[in-house]
Amino acid sequence: MLYSSYEADQALMNTGPKKVILTLFLLFLAFIPLQMVEGIPDLIPGFDFLGNNDWLKLLSTACIFAIGALGLNVLTGLAGQVSLGHAFFMGLGAYTAAWLGAAPGPLAGIGLPMWIWLPAAGVVAAIVGVAVGPTAVRVRGLYLAFVTLGLVFVGEYIFRNWSTLTGGSQSGRTFPDFELRLWKEETPLVDFANDGTWFGVALSGEAKTYYLLVFLLVVFVLLAKNLQRTRAGRAFQSIRDRDIAAEIMGVNEFKYKLTAFGISSFYAGVAGALLASFVGRTIPERWDLFLSVQFIAIVLIGGAGVVTGTLLGSVFVITLPRIVQDFTGWLTEYVTEGNGVFVWLADLLVVTGEGDFGLINVQQGIGSGLSVSILNQVLYGLLIIGFLIFEPLGLYGIWLRIRNYWKGWPFTY
Amino acid sequence: MTTVAERVEALPADSGYRTAAWMVKEWAESTPDRVAFREKDFGIWQETSWAEYWDIVLDAAHGLLALGVDVGDRVSIHSEDRPEWVILDIATIAVRGVSTGLYPTNPAIEVQYLISDSGARIHLAEDQEQADKVMEVIHTLPDLEKIIHVEPRGFRQWRDDDRFLFWDDFMDLGRQHRADNPGAVESRMAEATADDIITLVYTSGTTGPPKGAMISNANFTYAVEQVINVDGRVSKKPGDRVGPDDLILTYLPLCHIAERIFSTWTSVSSGASLNFAESIETVQQNLREIQPTIFFAVPRIWEKIHATIAIKARDASVFKRIWLGLGMWMAGIIGRQRVANDGDHTVLSGVLYVIGYPLVFRALKERIGMRRCRYAASGAAPIAPEVLQDFLGLGIPIYELYGMTENCAVATTNRPGRNKVGTVGEPYPGIGFRIDEETGEIQTKHPAVFVGYWNKPEKTAETFTEDGWLKTGDVGEWVDGTHVKIVDRIKHIIITSGGKNVSPSEIENSLKTSPYVKEAMVIGDGKKFLTALMGIEFDVVGDWATRRGIPYTTYRDLSEKPEVIELMQGVVGETNEKFARVENIRKFRMIPKELDHEDGELTATQKLKREAMDEMFGELISDMYGS
Repeated sequence: MLYSSYEADQALMNTGPKKVILTLFLLFLAFIPLQMVEGIPDLIPGFDFLGNNDWLKLLSTACIFAIGALGLNVLTGLAGQVSLGHAFFMGLGAYTAAWLGAAPGPLAGIGLPMWIWLPAAGVVAAIVGVAVGPTAVRVRGLYLAFVTLGLVFVGEYIFRNWSTLTGGSQSGRTFPDFELRLWKEETPLVDFANDGTWFGVALSGEAKTYYLLVFLLVVFVLLAKNLQRTRAGRAFQSIRDRDIAAEIMGVNEFKYKLTAFGISSFYAGVAGALLASFVGRTIPERWDLFLSVQFIAIVLIGGAGVVTGTLLGSVFVITLPRIVQDFTGWLTEYVTEGNGVFVWLADLLVVTGEGDFGLINVQQGIGSGLSVSILNQVLYGLLIIGFLIFEPLGLYGIWLRIRNYWKGWPFTY
Repeated sequence: MTTVAERVEALPADSGYRTAAWMVKEWAESTPDRVAFREKDFGIWQETSWAEYWDIVLDAAHGLLALGVDVGDRVSIHSEDRPEWVILDIATIAVRGVSTGLYPTNPAIEVQYLISDSGARIHLAEDQEQADKVMEVIHTLPDLEKIIHVEPRGFRQWRDDDRFLFWDDFMDLGRQHRADNPGAVESRMAEATADDIITLVYTSGTTGPPKGAMISNANFTYAVEQVINVDGRVSKKPGDRVGPDDLILTYLPLCHIAERIFSTWTSVSSGASLNFAESIETVQQNLREIQPTIFFAVPRIWEKIHATIAIKARDASVFKRIWLGLGMWMAGIIGRQRVANDGDHTVLSGVLYVIGYPLVFRALKERIGMRRCRYAASGAAPIAPEVLQDFLGLGIPIYELYGMTENCAVATTNRPGRNKVGTVGEPYPGIGFRIDEETGEIQTKHPAVFVGYWNKPEKTAETFTEDGWLKTGDVGEWVDGTHVKIVDRIKHIIITSGGKNVSPSEIENSLKTSPYVKEAMVIGDGKKFLTALMGIEFDVVGDWATRRGIPYTTYRDLSEKPEVIELMQGVVGETNEKFARVENIRKFRMIPKELDHEDGELTATQKLKREAMDEMFGELISDMYGS
């Protein structure tokens, strides 16, 4: 490519095909909920199931996780600082949102509109992130992982005991809905949570929430993409590659590590607020180590340091349990019917009754095997190990390999 | 778009001769914002428009005036290709000075010769490396007044030496002079005449010291009108000529007449943009980035690209290898068809090309930087027809042409639709061209024939026949009555003791078609049989050896491996099959070192200096003849 300016060299959309594919993909995303609307023809054969409300919910969750993972990607992928404390910052965001956004009641809440509580969730998390940041300047690698691991437990303890805010372990608390109000007026300007009609199209609440979250994701992706191309983004990467060398080149390690923590926590706070509001009611134990691990899994499986990879990772990690569940359901049915050629193979995989041996147990604790949720955790673990060993660049690395194969065509290099 | 003739008439009466500098001024006025040249700096191709170009040239020209450059004064330039080279060249023409280029590889001893022979007053030394060479011999150069340097690094040691002038300071000097004497350059340009010498092009000199060929404004005008700006050169379509949309990659030494014609002269006369390659090592990468539309290369470069395809194809993964093999098979058929059809497609080759283009050729041409190439040329040395055929097969319209410094490269060329591979084409229309019946020597007579050798009237006289024709020193013969085939340099023709005339370069080129062979020199003048000295292409043979698990250390070590000698034996055997028995090579020896300009075995243009080779490798030669 002939680049006659750095702008062209660094452009996000530097080729025509990229623009076309991205436009088509965004159209595809926009079209998913419309599949279910009466009178609109089925335009995406094979993908119409995505328009179901439960799949829409899954996709919405993936959007939220993607926003959170983009934050961890800045910290871990770009700046190279391993953090297990992501769940803590998400919890901070969630409870900030609850305090500011929830209607006054037995639990703390002052009922401010969404345009205040959503950014505030991010800001509060970011402030705490910056306060934690200096430890990252003193410790690195595994030790930083331990420090941030501590955060999760400290956080969980506080959340559990601050029951006037969090509702405690027993009942948890509710969170503000996705409603856009100017101030505290009765009817919201835009209601994302309940069924309604937009531009003459009848949409479910799930569909409207989905649109909101996709929009937010696009905004955060643009921010993250652009961050990589700024001075700060390059500074992060130089710290990741070799912090001492970066300092010698004039990168202020202290400042940029703090910045990385701040930005990462902001994303986490927003994602936490969104997740809590999306789910509706949450107990403090939601913000535990497993959530942090899930984010690590997203970043590593998707491809550390790459925005596209993070998006792929989120979709993959969030839809994996559902796919596993559907698959085991189908397997069980297959075995129970018992008239296929591969029944013996499927029978080895699933436990269908007492005394039966198999890998997956769908009988809720009767017999041997792993339950579907345990299986999911095992799969995450295996996938992380597998990707770290065989494809450190994650799903994005696989894509990169495919692309490079064609880039060099008809040569290999 | 006006034709050149119309624009000439439009010139005001007092404008002087329409020199190259004048053409830059015209482009700056007619298309000020179009890109004149690009240079890759800090990873980006930085663009300069014609208006900026002219502005810089004016500053530089004023700078030369400020340094007291008078009409006919020489300015020597010792640099890799870079904008400053061209700017100083054009500025020198603007002030009616004489520019002369040195090859970046010229060692100090040759720098001394070239500067003192030309009597240059101003010298541009690109960087410390070139400045060191001048400083080594500065005590023998009384005429040299100023040394301009472009790179500031490494010049602290001479900071108190007021002979040195940093480029930026030189430009400041020019701007100051321009502010004080507005119009001084323009009035100097208005005095330009057709007979002004604009440049001394030193011939590479395979025998004796280099001679400076004087090229005048009239030579320049005739050369660009014949070689570039005329219908039928780049395409058969009338009116389709080189124009402002064309891209040229500048990478061969600008002091050579071929690169001067195909880059700076083409650019100023047609408006095509120049793109300076970062260095000769990065040419292949720069080619991919620029994808030039007009590309001239010497056979060595074409052979290198040809070999690159072969090597990369071998390294490709299995599926790609099969795929590419299929493509090259098709290219082979297309190439043969086109060679047999004067360079044009036949029905079969056309169909194959349409099929092969999306499958292989498009991507392959993109990789080697030839996707947009609409005119490619080879010249300055003989090229093996097989190489041309392969490029034609890939759909690259490549034409061999022939000329020399002394006639500004105006002699013969192949043209679209009349392309005979293996010949150097037809004489340009309207020029005087003849092949001497007795000696077979090619002789030319036209307005682009040079004025004479600088300070060497007796050498000049030797170069012309009594009736004023230029003796090229090349033996040629007619093919089909229209095209010309070059046999060899007269001096190189071997007469064996059996009395048989043999053209060594034909045999040498055939040997060099093999990607393994870089150098070949056929010997046998006055001997009973022919022998050869062979030099390997280190990268390719190294790669070959690695694949076979043959360990090696140096060039010499690799050359002397029995397996490599066997490989060379195979190459020699293949060549022998193509030639008559008397032309067969009976014995050969490996050249134990990589030949080099600085060691004196090659000229600056990488041609073998036969006398130097005889001297250096005399033992190897006498060993072959068993004396």
